[in-house]
Amino acid sequence: MISLRHITKCFRDGEREVVVLRDLDLDVAAGAFTAVVGPSGSGKSTLLYVAGGLDADYEGEAVVAGRDLRALSARERAAFRNVSVGFVFQSFNLLPALPAVENTMLPGLFAPPGVPAPSIGQLRIRAMEALDRVGLADKASRLPAHLSGGERQRVAIARALLSRPAVLLADEPTGNLDAVSGEAVIQLFSAMVRDGVTVLVVTHEERVSAAAGRVLHLEEGRLR
Amino acid sequence: MRLASLVHLASLNLRSDRRGTILNTAAACVGAAALVFFVALGMGVGQAARLLFPGDARLIEVVPGAVSLGAALGGGALDDGAVERLRELPGVQGAWRRLSLRVPIAASRAPEGVRMNWPPGFTVQVPVVGVDAGLVASDLQPGRRFDDPPAGEPIPVLASRRLLEVYNKTIAPAWNLRRLPAGIDLVGLQIPVQVGFSIIPLKTEEKVYDARLALAGLSDRVPLYSLAVPVETVRRLHREYGKSDAGYSSVVLELARPDDVPSAAAAVRRMGFAVDEGERAIAERVGLAITVVAGALALLALLMTALAALAIAQSLSASVRARTRDIAILQSLGATAGDVRALVLAEAALVGLAGGVLGVLIAWLAARGVDAAALRFLPDFPFRPTTFFQFPPWLFALGVGVSASAALLGALAPAALAARIDPARAIS
Repeated sequence: MISLRHITKCFRDGEREVVVLRDLDLDVAAGAFTAVVGPSGSGKSTLLYVAGGLDADYEGEAVVAGRDLRALSARERAAFRNVSVGFVFQSFNLLPALPAVENTMLPGLFAPPGVPAPSIGQLRIRAMEALDRVGLADKASRLPAHLSGGERQRVAIARALLSRPAVLLADEPTGNLDAVSGEAVIQLFSAMVRDGVTVLVVTHEERVSAAAGRVLHLEEGRLR
Repeated sequence: MRLASLVHLASLNLRSDRRGTILNTAAACVGAAALVFFVALGMGVGQAARLLFPGDARLIEVVPGAVSLGAALGGGALDDGAVERLRELPGVQGAWRRLSLRVPIAASRAPEGVRMNWPPGFTVQVPVVGVDAGLVASDLQPGRRFDDPPAGEPIPVLASRRLLEVYNKTIAPAWNLRRLPAGIDLVGLQIPVQVGFSIIPLKTEEKVYDARLALAGLSDRVPLYSLAVPVETVRRLHREYGKSDAGYSSVVLELARPDDVPSAAAAVRRMGFAVDEGERAIAERVGLAITVVAGALALLALLMTALAALAIAQSLSASVRARTRDIAILQSLGATAGDVRALVLAEAALVGLAGGVLGVLIAWLAARGVDAAALRFLPDFPFRPTTFFQFPPWLFALGVGVSASAALLGALAPAALAARIDPARAIS
């Protein structure tokens, strides 16, 4: 489902070039729950952005959900992000001014050409179903500021699930959560894997990697 | 991104930034209100001026030259030969004679057919000018004739369309006479007069007899303070009283197009005659003054709209910078650069539309307020308009359209800025 070959990603820091990912290879099978662990600054987030089509400035080959990401135009990459992958971030990345249900609806508003675009009413129903799945249907009208950290992350997961993606990419999803909330999120990921979703999590938390079927270590830009 | 989704998301964003939305809407509103108000004012005042000076842009009045060396060198009297030559000028569709009556006519009794409190002993000298029927043919009431009548029959006359207004607003109050009701049909009214009688000492003719004038219509082509009779009637009266007809007082040329006026006027002057600018010149000067002032005010309003666009641009740029992360999140969820650009433009368009609608409404209400104040505080002078504004439907569309366009114009740069956001960098 995820195939990264010879991925090299560099940043320029003034005159200095910093290599974040160095000739990295990664294969994740469909329906697998894979964790990538590593210290802060090891390039875990960058790896996710490459796999999710957010970052197109790298060397190597990335094929995710059957799409060769290097061959896609910016518009096609946007469609890929909308349809094929879902993102979950450490800091939730909810729009603070929108209630939970409106945040959850967002991917549906950007349905690419060729994908049946639901009406706003249908989208709201689907968002409510997604919130119900993460146990937050009763808090659909609340703003993110009025939700706990765990609840915000569950809204973010509901949003990622709205388009029923084949791949879920999670960046330190429990990093800002207490033990109970973190456990709930991990349980959700496990349930998604049972439903056939491929989950790739980058984390430095033991409790997450323990739940994954496969754990990879990212060090000096390479997976071990 | 579908339009419904775009409007939905743009509305949510605007609602989440109430203060910015209100300020931007107010800026767009002020520009639209000023534009619509001043354009409506210019059109309304222009319309009022046209009522006051209803000059036909295709007419010029030819008068004898002030200095003439005789017909051999051109100019001289405006006789029938001159009228024929004037009729032959390029662009001239008609040449209509005017001849001032030099026999005094006075009215000392109330017109018949209308209730008036005519003061005892009150006599009005009636200025009369003879005109060709062709000049006023379109203003004659159906079935009315405009030719010299047989002896004893009433003489058909036409009065200026503005005379009733002037009578009601100035003559009647000054002489304590009863005002005539608005919209009254005066056509057919008969005025008993004495031909040959003058209120000026020693000007009364030896022969004075009673006659009747019958109003055959109202016309803007009749001088304000005169009555027009058939030119043949004037010539007959001149013969009766031994007055010589050296030539016509003036000849009115009707041109095919207003654009023909300058060349025709030049040709007339080359023939040795003069062109009486008179009311036409006043109308043109008033019209020009109104156009210039209204244009300047509309320009000022456009400047205000441009400033509103700048304010919106600045505000949206700040908003885009503040929402960099939010925009990156939308990109991570599948928004393309085009979607992001469209979103910022849609927010601006909604602000512009709301500001435009509000501005048009405010302009209309302000106009109603000005009209109400004018009605209350201005004296009741002749031709005082009931409104100083005109609001044709296209003006409402213009107000909203200009406001929305200005907002969109102001949003172009912020939209481009938003579309350039790198999601990977902004999120991390």
